[in-house]
Amino acid sequence: MNFGDAQNRNRKAAEYLQLLGALAAELEKALSAIAQNALPDLEESVVNQQALSGRLTSLVTQICIPLETKAPTSESSLDEDLIQQIRSASDSLQQLNRRYAALLQHSSRSVAQMVGLFNSVRGQIQEASGSRLKVQTWSCQV
Amino acid sequence: MRIDPNIVPEILSDLQTSQVSLNTALQQVSTGKSVSVPSDNPAAAAAMVQNTIETGDVDQYTQNVSTLQTTVQSASSALSSVVTSLTQAVSLGTEGANGTNSSADLQALAQQVQGILTSVVSLANTSVGGAYLFGGTGTTTPYTADSSSPTGYTYNGNNDTNSVQVGDQTSIQVNLPGSQIFSNSSNNVVGSLSSLVTALQSGNSSQIATATTSVDSAVSFIGQQQVFYGNAEQQLNSQEQYLQQDTVSLASQENNLVGVDMATAATNLSQAETDNSAALAAAAKVLPNSLLNYLTTPS
Amino acid sequence: MGGLNTSLLIGLQALEVNQGALDATSNNIANVNTPGYTREEAQLSENQQYVSGNNVTGGGVSLNAIQSIRDELLNLQIQQQTSLQNSADAQSSSLQQIQTAFTTTGGDIASELTAFSSSLAQLSASPTSTAAQQGVIASGQDLAGAFNSTANALTSAQSQADGQVTQTVAQVNTLTQQIAQLNGQLAQVPAGEDGGTVEDQRDQLVQQLSGLVGISITQSSDGETITTANGSPLVMGGQSFNLQTATGSDGFQQVIDSNGNNITASIQGGTLGGVIQVRDQIVPGLLSQLNTLASQFAAAFNSAQAQGTDSNGNTGAAFFAVPSNPDDAGAAAGMAVSITDPSQIAISSNGSVDSNGNVANLSAALTQNLPSGQTPAGAYASLVFQVGNAASNASTQSSAIGQNLTQLTSQQGSVSAVSVDEETTNLLRYQTAYEAATRIVSTIQVLNNALLNMGSTTSF
Repeated sequence: MNFGDAQNRNRKAAEYLQLLGALAAELEKALSAIAQNALPDLEESVVNQQALSGRLTSLVTQICIPLETKAPTSESSLDEDLIQQIRSASDSLQQLNRRYAALLQHSSRSVAQMVGLFNSVRGQIQEASGSRLKVQTWSCQV
Repeated sequence: MRIDPNIVPEILSDLQTSQVSLNTALQQVSTGKSVSVPSDNPAAAAAMVQNTIETGDVDQYTQNVSTLQTTVQSASSALSSVVTSLTQAVSLGTEGANGTNSSADLQALAQQVQGILTSVVSLANTSVGGAYLFGGTGTTTPYTADSSSPTGYTYNGNNDTNSVQVGDQTSIQVNLPGSQIFSNSSNNVVGSLSSLVTALQSGNSSQIATATTSVDSAVSFIGQQQVFYGNAEQQLNSQEQYLQQDTVSLASQENNLVGVDMATAATNLSQAETDNSAALAAAAKVLPNSLLNYLTTPS
Repeated sequence: MGGLNTSLLIGLQALEVNQGALDATSNNIANVNTPGYTREEAQLSENQQYVSGNNVTGGGVSLNAIQSIRDELLNLQIQQQTSLQNSADAQSSSLQQIQTAFTTTGGDIASELTAFSSSLAQLSASPTSTAAQQGVIASGQDLAGAFNSTANALTSAQSQADGQVTQTVAQVNTLTQQIAQLNGQLAQVPAGEDGGTVEDQRDQLVQQLSGLVGISITQSSDGETITTANGSPLVMGGQSFNLQTATGSDGFQQVIDSNGNNITASIQGGTLGGVIQVRDQIVPGLLSQLNTLASQFAAAFNSAQAQGTDSNGNTGAAFFAVPSNPDDAGAAAGMAVSITDPSQIAISSNGSVDSNGNVANLSAALTQNLPSGQTPAGAYASLVFQVGNAASNASTQSSAIGQNLTQLTSQQGSVSAVSVDEETTNLLRYQTAYEAATRIVSTIQVLNNALLNMGSTTSF
């Protein structure tokens, strides 16, 4: 596989770095959205995360050289500084991701509990509609 | 503004209203009446109080009229028989006065007139339904034999008359006392017959003639008394018609006040059932149609 | 300061806040069936942002307050309408019961007047018949019985209402004590903060109270003051004031306020107001007319008796006996026939035993006007009209107010009620979002592996 010149690879690596930053920002946004119960914002962020991580994944195959290939020439080597930045950004992304995953796990458990609660509430509502009718004067009494 | 998510109270309220309408329609069809309690229609209920009492009265008056018609007719026909008997007595008396009779003939004539007297007295004692027609208001036999009486009979009744109610403001006098008809001091029917018997027995022609004349005047006298009963009968007949009309108009009034036209009631019931079903169906659609139905517990 | 630590802090905060917000939501859902529950919304505000160099990090959020949403004015209107409806309901249900005594089903005054009148017409046709004479006595007794039972229906409705007075006052006292207790709890809540579920509960109890008796509410710096419509204190802040009942001179329960004043006549609205109206106004009015009718009718018939002579030759004795009390009290309930022998009916007008001239006078007592200006049938018909009209009006009023209430609570619902659907929609969406997000988390993790390759000098 010809990885082209270093310029091309570096360009792609720079884009990778930028996308890492953008993805980290989206995760932050998602965290904030969950905290604020802002469901539309969360949904939007998830969509963006999806797009970003998809792009990142495809970039990886374009940047990275499989181990079994021959050693590349120095002409196609990546900028060292760039690599360092990418590493650093990736580290913090992973940490953020771990925190994000924890929050998601916690929230999903809460939603599951509420759904369970709902199922019992639903049972009550159905009972009430079959029982004898009487005029209600309360707004919330079902 | 948000829409009230709790439509349940409104649905329940609608259902209750349609249920009440359904119950009312059912009751009307099954009873044929639109007013069961005063609050259904207070004015109609009040008017029905009067209607009920008047209807009861009219029914009773109608019965009274019917009973009276029987007694009046009986009295009338009794008097007709009396007239027939008296006429017979007159011809017997006339025969006895012509001077051609033997003593035996005269005795035979006297006996016949005696027979007529007896039957007239028994007509005077006619009773219908246990009540004497010609005894005034008395309850004992009007005429009984009395040897101490110049006519041979005593009147045991009284001189009273009864008026019977046949309408709210209408009473009809239905009897003449026997003392007025049969033993009236101005024209004593019983007396004149009894005198004729005596005259025939005595054989005195002029006496017989006189007695016969007074029996003859009794015939027209009874005829006059009959007029009273004829009038009473007419009065009763016209009251009968009036009461019939009254009955019809009271029934019609009752129907207007509380009755229900069955065809209308059946249609109303059908409509009420449809409305009720629709309300129930609407409620059934809304109540369970919540996302709760679609929630599944995540695994 | 930016960087990882900030992110951690934000994350922690987010976790806490989220818990609070979830608490609000789960509170809403758990209380969807709780009467009077007003929806809580987490009021969140963003914290200050952290700025560090070129990095700006969000400051996260904190939870300000859980604010209940309610509309005080709507509450007040609903309270007033509830008062009115319960009062109308109490009157309506009592009148529905009373009016069954006035329906023409046999045994009622209309049916028995009819039978009595017919029996007299029959006597006119057969004055000497013992059966006809007995018929008059029997139907007279039935008529007196109808007066008795109609009066009893009225007095029994009265004593039922009386029992309800005692019961309702006890319920009022229970509620005011509970309200005062809640007021005490609410007094601990810092100013500006919403009372949350405690205030909801308190409002709920106040609404129940308004259903029992008409009330007036004022807010002051000391808290809420609730009085009856005429101003007798019921609750002042954390203190409640009991109402008491005491037997009055008429034998009925009087309502006494905490100052010792008899406020029975001033109670308006609510079940208590309704039953007092029935007991002290509606029934006495009807009973008084019934008693007047009984008394005047009996007098008229008795005087018609006295005009004639009976079959024993005596002047006609009184046919009906009616208790003699001021204002004809108890006349209907105590009406009875005092003659038992058929021969005592005064049928004769001229002293001779078997004439029937006085029967017409006896019948006329039913068709002529009484001193009140109406015939007996007419006076009774008026009474029927009044009962029917009152019952119909009370029922109509109750429905009309019911419709008002439905509208008002519908408005209240749109302000306050929890939408189960709304909450569940959110849950579904959260579920979906979380699932998608979790997948992305995995994808991001995988990226990390790729990075290892990326950084390898041997692969470059």
